[in-house]
Amino acid sequence: MLIVRLGLILMFITAIASGTLALLNQHTSPIILEYKLKQQEEARQEVMRSQGGVKFEKVNSEEIGEFYKAYDEADNLVGYVSIAYGKGYSSTIETVAGYTTDFEVAGLKVTFQQETPGLGTKAVEVKKGDRKPWFLMQFEGKDATNLAVVQDRGNIDSITGATITSRAIAVSVKATAKEIKQAVEAMEKANDTQMDTEAAALEMNGEVTP
Amino acid sequence: MSDVRKEFTKGLIKDNPVLRLALGLCPALAVSATVFDALGMGISVIFVLTMSNLIVSLMRKAVPPKIRIPIFIVVIATFVTIVEMVMAAYQPGLYQSLGIFVPLIVVNCVILARSEAFASKNSPFISIIDALGMGVGFTFALTMIATVREILGNGTWLGFTVAPSDFQPVLLMMLAPGAFITMGLILAWFNWMDDQKEKHLKATFMLDEKEAK
Repeated sequence: MLIVRLGLILMFITAIASGTLALLNQHTSPIILEYKLKQQEEARQEVMRSQGGVKFEKVNSEEIGEFYKAYDEADNLVGYVSIAYGKGYSSTIETVAGYTTDFEVAGLKVTFQQETPGLGTKAVEVKKGDRKPWFLMQFEGKDATNLAVVQDRGNIDSITGATITSRAIAVSVKATAKEIKQAVEAMEKANDTQMDTEAAALEMNGEVTP
Repeated sequence: MSDVRKEFTKGLIKDNPVLRLALGLCPALAVSATVFDALGMGISVIFVLTMSNLIVSLMRKAVPPKIRIPIFIVVIATFVTIVEMVMAAYQPGLYQSLGIFVPLIVVNCVILARSEAFASKNSPFISIIDALGMGVGFTFALTMIATVREILGNGTWLGFTVAPSDFQPVLLMMLAPGAFITMGLILAWFNWMDDQKEKHLKATFMLDEKEAK
């Protein structure tokens, strides 16, 4: 009987605790989500700024999930934006990556990381007088499908004492670029064949325009 | 009134949780690379410690001794989760930089130790005073370690550059060994001060005895 009584007391207390947390969560989770969405939108703007990308169109791809097509003021396609996830030293690093239409890195912004304070966090540290973190700036203009840190005989200087963080960002950005490139090429191909069949169909109907 | 002051000040130096009781060493080592993180961690701990001490003290007569530890942990975990959710919503920058160490406040032994050793035996008011003293003492210790580490390891204090421009930061201080070395030296310094005090007391005592003779 004693065990049952103790169990009930414990249950009662945990019920109060979870009830309190559920109430608070209802209040804070929309704020957290809103902040996250706002940050992602800002990150998209920021990584495509060098290309003049201001409008974003979400693309849902079956193979790789969603990414964004970026357009400038005049509605010209200027590149692609996606989120790259890389396994860092103590967290999964979330990087919003912008690519030009030729798959050069247009800009990067780390939107989530819990790396070692003072080491891995240098990936997002902005030097005095700079606007962006120096580590991410060096990616800009480089071929996004061919990125690696110097330790892997690559072209990216890693952060002292945080090779794993540096590598995680380089590798994940590269992998995402490759995926999007493939997806984009596949879509273009599909569009081309679709156009071809449409043209053929029109031809059959004798309505083809010269 | 002197009781209140005693319960508050004991946490600062005499029974400082990190430097004297050697409790909560994990966050003291892990979150002391920069002063900003140390202060953020300290404030979170002060909040959790005060609230859990208050609740534990209020419940102290209703809690069966056999299940007091799980109950204390539930209370502490609840407040830590509150801190986590509120911080993520209103202070996302700090939340990101403290990272995994926010949920780990649950297992910070300073908090469980105060619940078990103090709040479960004392009235709510004095338990809050004890929590505030211990919390401030914890923050003080973390800030002290972080000050040494941030200045030597990064040339800054609370984000402001304090070192001359040709200063070469000691990377070691930012890494775990830097934390251990700094904490070791500070602990040694505290023990040395204690020794000196004891010697001084002894000397005066002997003097008194002589005079009495």
